[in-house]
Amino acid sequence: MKSINLKENQFIQFHQKISFKFDGVKYFGYKGDTIASAILRNNVNLVGRSFKYHRPRGIYTCGIEEPNALVQIISEYSEPNTRATIKKIYEGMEIESQNRWPSLENDFGSINNLFSPIFTAGFYYKTFMGPHKKFWKNLYEPLIRRAAGLGKPPKDFKGISNHIHHNVDVTIIGGGLNGLLAAKSFINSNYDVLLIDFEEQLGGIINNSNKISLIDNKEPKDWLKETIQEIEDSKNIKILKNTLVTTYNYINHLIAIEDRFVGSKPIEGKVNSTLHKIRTGHTILCNGHIERFLSFQNNDLPGIMLSSSFEKYMCRYGLAPSKEPVIFSNNSNSNSLVYSLIKAGLKPKAYIDSRSGEEIEPNLFDLIRKNDVPLYTNSQIKGAFGNKKIEKILVEDSSGALNEIKCDCLCLSGGINPDVHLFTQSKGLLDWDEKDLTYKPSKPFQPTITLGSASGQFNFDNLNSDINEKLKTFKVKKLDVKLELNTNAKYNIEKLWEVSPQKKSLWAKSFIDLQNDVTTKDIRQAITEGFDRIEHLKRYTTNSMGTDQGKISSINALGIVSDLLDKKVNEVGTTIYRPPYAPLSFSAIAGRNCYEFYDPERKSPIHNWHLKNGAIFEDVGQWKRPWYFQINKDESMHDAVQRESKNVRENAGILDGSTLGKIEIKGEDALEFMNLIYTNSFTKMKQGSARYALMLGEDGMVKDDGIICKISDQHFIATTTTGGAATVLGCMEEYAQTEWPNLKVFMNSITEQYATFNISGPKTREIMKKAFPNINFSNEEFPFMTFQFHEFNGVPIRILRASFTGELGYEIYIPSNSAPKIWDNIQSVGKEFGLAPYGTEAMHLLRAEKGYIIVGQDTDGSITPIDLGLSWMIGKSKKDFLGKRSLTRSDTIREDRKQLVGIIPSNKTDKLEEGQHIILDKEIKSPVPMLGHITSCYYSPTLGHDFALAVIKNGHSMIGTKAYASTSSMGTTGVDIVKPVFYDEGNKRLVS
Amino acid sequence: MLIINCPYCGPRDQSEFSNGGEAHVKRPDGSKEIGDREWGEYVFIRANPKGLFYERWVHTHGCRKWFNCVRDTSTDEILVTYKLDEKKPNLNNFKSVVKTPSGEPEVGSGNFTVEK
Repeated sequence: MKSINLKENQFIQFHQKISFKFDGVKYFGYKGDTIASAILRNNVNLVGRSFKYHRPRGIYTCGIEEPNALVQIISEYSEPNTRATIKKIYEGMEIESQNRWPSLENDFGSINNLFSPIFTAGFYYKTFMGPHKKFWKNLYEPLIRRAAGLGKPPKDFKGISNHIHHNVDVTIIGGGLNGLLAAKSFINSNYDVLLIDFEEQLGGIINNSNKISLIDNKEPKDWLKETIQEIEDSKNIKILKNTLVTTYNYINHLIAIEDRFVGSKPIEGKVNSTLHKIRTGHTILCNGHIERFLSFQNNDLPGIMLSSSFEKYMCRYGLAPSKEPVIFSNNSNSNSLVYSLIKAGLKPKAYIDSRSGEEIEPNLFDLIRKNDVPLYTNSQIKGAFGNKKIEKILVEDSSGALNEIKCDCLCLSGGINPDVHLFTQSKGLLDWDEKDLTYKPSKPFQPTITLGSASGQFNFDNLNSDINEKLKTFKVKKLDVKLELNTNAKYNIEKLWEVSPQKKSLWAKSFIDLQNDVTTKDIRQAITEGFDRIEHLKRYTTNSMGTDQGKISSINALGIVSDLLDKKVNEVGTTIYRPPYAPLSFSAIAGRNCYEFYDPERKSPIHNWHLKNGAIFEDVGQWKRPWYFQINKDESMHDAVQRESKNVRENAGILDGSTLGKIEIKGEDALEFMNLIYTNSFTKMKQGSARYALMLGEDGMVKDDGIICKISDQHFIATTTTGGAATVLGCMEEYAQTEWPNLKVFMNSITEQYATFNISGPKTREIMKKAFPNINFSNEEFPFMTFQFHEFNGVPIRILRASFTGELGYEIYIPSNSAPKIWDNIQSVGKEFGLAPYGTEAMHLLRAEKGYIIVGQDTDGSITPIDLGLSWMIGKSKKDFLGKRSLTRSDTIREDRKQLVGIIPSNKTDKLEEGQHIILDKEIKSPVPMLGHITSCYYSPTLGHDFALAVIKNGHSMIGTKAYASTSSMGTTGVDIVKPVFYDEGNKRLVS
Repeated sequence: MLIINCPYCGPRDQSEFSNGGEAHVKRPDGSKEIGDREWGEYVFIRANPKGLFYERWVHTHGCRKWFNCVRDTSTDEILVTYKLDEKKPNLNNFKSVVKTPSGEPEVGSGNFTVEK
């Protein structure tokens, strides 16, 4: 295909040269060129290899509908699958073709084309079945994935995107003739209007074709300039250019992506795309139409393109891809291409129309006759032939004779479709137009208006009345625009979906989906095999499942299917159009919600101290908690945890418990409310005392636990687990509002207002005395499970005597701002007593030695308090509390429920592991009856061996018996089932 | 994304709210004897109709108030929102029982693009 440059226009200036590289070769284009137009200018025909058969492919269209010309932009983080027909070039751009090896010209994969008779629909499903399941994952899939596909995923992702929200009355999508006219009516009205166009220049068909000769007696170009100026000057209209609406959601919610670097290289660190989230009162769709192609043998050869695309290259880019293209059409839409060619001093090599001479528009007839263009009416192209480019075509004329025509370019037009993608995303319904042979919008489901060719108005005669009628719900100016056209006004089409090949051959291919290499033969085969529903057929053949979503071909497939099934197209229906309209990158969707902003990190007030003192953190919900502290870089986690645990048992340890949820409950009826929310009874509890409490779901399962401090009957402070804080508060609020609105009670989260330090160990009392000299910490004055308010250096603090380690312990609650100072003070006075910080892992070990559960680790939403052996915590005399009735359900009183027990290896040197199954027999004979599993497991420095907590069937009655713990990796280990307490069973240390 | 009209704050984006399942499910009075079946139905059984549905929502990232609404589950249209202490609206007040984009059948997803 030899292209020539035409005249300069407002979009392309021939003195602004730009160099770029395609597959390593340097080429020149002009400012304003897309990759496709620049490549055509350089007479390059071959731009890619097809998905499955690796067939040579060229540029088929001039817009977003492009199925073939997908390229990888090396100079932009290696962005794959970029449409060459919309991406603008810039100086130094580097582009690579896709899906070829070792080179585009000599592609090894093209051997697939030879074997193509076996690669029919469902080939992979049928072929790669055996001999073993593993073959698919380890052999077939990697091989197929290497051979098939599009671009390579980029390794690096640096594109930044911003999100912008809009709230407007009217959004006009598409800035072509109808979009501009709609916007014109809204000029200086009281509506907030957003006008969105995908291209850099508004104008659509005015820029892309020679269809219109005069608008309001002005040159279209001049009218356009004036109109855009008027719209830009109007204060109520905002224009978004280079912005593609990809998604149309419920309640007129639109998503659009704006390219911020059109025609220039994105600057690293700068925002290169903006995602617009638009909520609009009305949406006016003026997004135009898309031309269809036609199926015949080798309709994928480089050098074949859509006729309107050819015209767009001429009008928009000052470029004729070929000096003498052949035109093949079944409709009147390609008339203007003939007009444009002749106007540019070129001549079609032949004009082939499937319509009869009477149907062809008289003015086209005249034009063709006057210029001696060979005309074939009632004729069809049987096939195109050539090596890696089109060289000749075979035409069957009205007499049935075959004519061979040599050519380097073929322009196709199979009719036009309204671009209904967004309309159907909005849940609007389509209807088949038997005359225009296309689906057109019929019933909108939302406040959606369609104008122009997007609504199926392919003629311009009702332009004014249509817009005025559809916009009459708005108080806007009436339009009266006069249009004059260069070509015919009436759209006319004859049914033609496919031309069968001249010779029957296994290798003859008529494509129906260029991007996914689906042939019309595949469609026939799928229907023969019973996939005759359009949604099934689509998935079985992968028709219209590429990144182009079959924009130029999906309606053709429906036509072929309806003929094969002898059904009306409306009965066949269409597949669902789903967002996005065109691919948008994940980085655009993610926006700024990535890396450190993906999920907020919550840090305790002591976080900086932890950082300085060797803390290794673990994530607990959004919180960063010290997992363990390394005294030097070589200390392993195991050693650190053992050291920390031992130190708590022998001296004293301090844990930053600030992340524990804290909820303050106040109000006249606070006591009654607490009695209803938790299992425990708080009525007889003394003021100033605390209690370990359980919260259940209505199904009777343990949901959360914590310590409740009773300040008075009207005032409680509850702690929750770190991860459960929000849920517990939410649950309290829900029941206070929905079930017991008569109770006067209020609750509020005070988690972040207070830091919490847990100090425990035999030497704790000494440390506390020294740190807070004015407080009496004696057992009589400050007994276990009581709390006191004090002031320390002017800071109000609350001290609770409680422990999660089994040692004597205190929890100190301090306003967050004053916490670091007091923490430092405790560290320095504690030094002489061997006080050391410990992390969550040591805390878990220590509590497990005491058999204290962790909700979410030892419970999993299927464990009741009775299963845990915590029946004593249930206020049986209470009439009601959350989940009470469920504790006597038939399921919760079953005897073989999983219950909490302790596990120790029978041979003390054996190891156990979390998640191991507990089974009864040493010999494994499947199916093995499973009793339950280990929920927590540690090596205890105090006991000198492994120990574990487990939930096993009927566990309580199995205490004292033997069983086995098993994993496939570790084999079976003999274990003893014991009480879930391994240390200080009498709680002597706790209350000392 | 839906817009939900919080009875306390006004229309807000769906992302501010959380769904609370079927509305007007009464919690049995715990002070009285409750049969296994009655309690089981309260805890586990909820309606899941295609069409109009009384539903609870909470304005989690807003006023944190619970409220009720009538939503058409086949179209996601929220027909009315009302406070917890307001009477539940009669479903007959709303025009259609199953109004779907394409007048689809009463069961099934019925994602059609062409009128059936």
